Amino acid sequence: MQIPFRSSFPTAWACAALCLAGLAWTPPAAADETCQSPFLPKITGQEDFIYVWTLGIEGLGDGSDKLVTVGANPERPGYGEVIHSLSLGGRHEAHHGGLSDDRRTYWLGGLDDSKIFVVDIGSDPARPRLLRTIDDFPEATGGVVGPHGFYALPGRMLISALSNEEGTGRTALVEYSNEGEYIRTIWMPEGAEYGYDARVNVDLNRMLTSSFTGRNNYMRPLGELLQDAEAMKNFGNTVVVWDFHARRPLQVLEIPGAPLEIRWALGPRHHYAFTTAALTSRLWGIFRKSDGSFEAVDLAEIGDASGTPLPVDISLSSDDRFLFVSTFLDGTLRVFDVSEPRAPKLAYERKLGNQANMVSQSWGGERVYVTSSLLSAWDLPDPLEDEQYLKAFGWNGRELIPRFEIDFRAEKLGRPHLMRFGQFDLYRTPAAGAAE
Amino acid sequence: MRSGAVLGAAVWLLLAGVPGPAAAEPVASPERLYEVPEPGSYELPPIRQVSDHELLGPRGRPARLFPLGGPELSVVAFVYTHCSEARGCPAAFATLRRLDRDLSLRPELERRVQLVTVSFDPERDTPERMAQLRDQLKPRTGWRFLTASGAVELGTLLSDFGQNVFEQLTKAGEPTGVLRHVLQIFLVDADRAVRNVYSSGLLDPRLLLADIRTVLLERDSIQR
Repeated sequence: MQIPFRSSFPTAWACAALCLAGLAWTPPAAADETCQSPFLPKITGQEDFIYVWTLGIEGLGDGSDKLVTVGANPERPGYGEVIHSLSLGGRHEAHHGGLSDDRRTYWLGGLDDSKIFVVDIGSDPARPRLLRTIDDFPEATGGVVGPHGFYALPGRMLISALSNEEGTGRTALVEYSNEGEYIRTIWMPEGAEYGYDARVNVDLNRMLTSSFTGRNNYMRPLGELLQDAEAMKNFGNTVVVWDFHARRPLQVLEIPGAPLEIRWALGPRHHYAFTTAALTSRLWGIFRKSDGSFEAVDLAEIGDASGTPLPVDISLSSDDRFLFVSTFLDGTLRVFDVSEPRAPKLAYERKLGNQANMVSQSWGGERVYVTSSLLSAWDLPDPLEDEQYLKAFGWNGRELIPRFEIDFRAEKLGRPHLMRFGQFDLYRTPAAGAAE
Repeated sequence: MRSGAVLGAAVWLLLAGVPGPAAAEPVASPERLYEVPEPGSYELPPIRQVSDHELLGPRGRPARLFPLGGPELSVVAFVYTHCSEARGCPAAFATLRRLDRDLSLRPELERRVQLVTVSFDPERDTPERMAQLRDQLKPRTGWRFLTASGAVELGTLLSDFGQNVFEQLTKAGEPTGVLRHVLQIFLVDADRAVRNVYSSGLLDPRLLLADIRTVLLERDSIQR
């Protein structure tokens, strides 16, 4: 039946508002392709691109950090190939980055010199371009160094940093407007001064932050650092629970051994999150208790903890069933079945190479991507062993099936680190259409 | 051709799935398992500065976004009435309507706050259409329904607020009538500084009310 749209629509709209408002309806948080800020539009179908924030290697190509765009849609030209590379001039210790709340910009952080590059990916998704550079981060923020996590909030970017101007681990959360203007600095609370990741659950109005180490450690060669007992004491052992709206710390949870990435479960009434402790190689759960506070529970060993495999990244499937865990030093990707979140079971593992770092999956979980580089001073020092790759797999719920692979050394690109997805349909403007 | 009928059908489907106001359960009602922080116990630093803009009121008359001598705070929502995304513009309207009710019960706040809905689809959302919508919603406060006089004025306004809107095209490059945007509601203070932005996931009228109180408490404290 054809509905008389134009003549009656204001009435329909008003009715919708009446019905919804009368019941105090508010929409659920939209989650991104599994692990992103709840404030982002999500890509639920086929991603067209993988944007890879890549560290430069001296003597390789132009030697600079760059944003590498890889074709990810098998139905488009350039599938499994590098289709664009945006050099950002110099080596800044490219590490993490994040998309703005409208997905039109991709913020890229340098852990060494604290520069932030804001890249426009909305105007032409196949050819990102540099929009602006924030080069006064330590001065603007009151001494914060090492912009690490970039997490979109409405109208602004939340940056979780790693360090300060003395190079220790005392650090802060920092907010910038989407236009790149500094808003405020929130120092981590006493007794939990370290920082790393920040993740929000809007239905609980809670934010979790984790803890790594300061610049004095993360810029040191890993072999040397591991031999320095004093330096090894300078890692975080905490996760902080915050009142997100008030940005107020409420509770400090003890999680020994540098808890890094945090992933909230996505399902309704799934009031828990996961993290992994890098130095102790343990999988932890963070569960909401009946009184509204949280408890941290040591759930499982990841690999052979005695060999310090160093779990670095995790990715939770959108149905909260599978948790992918990459371990850097043994180059392995493990998949835990976390259907019962307090009793995870190792479901699968695969050796990917000499080293493995970031892991990202599509919303439906059918595709999984892994990169190799952790930090320039922590990657394997011998160039012959220092594999640098992006590997793409299919995931059928039982095993990984190779799809394509790019050798970033052979392509003279550098060390691939963080990945984010792009899609033409997010910006189907005339320019984007023409770009196809 | 704009596919208004298709979009309208989508919203009607939404309506079909939503029981009337007297019914018990909405389509999707996430649990809000938190207490809203006490107004004045937290800070809302300015995020960006915005300007005043001349728009069109219900009868096509010029209307300032921030009228001289008007309320101190503004809650500004950008929408378009052909939006078929339940979590989009209809959700913004639902939030504002609840806020309208809440403010109407608090005269000390109502006189200091204006709710403003601005359409970013002036071609279809004419002043008459906005007035029609207002009549249907029967606001209890001075909730205003504005639209832009043209594309240039609209572009300036949206750019000022950082609100991106563009029309979704088909793969062949044909317009669809669907305007892609991130739902945003802005809390603007007397100095025209945006003090908070609310999008999907944060559309909790309790938070808006707490923020309004927080900014007013700050203002009262400075003025004392």
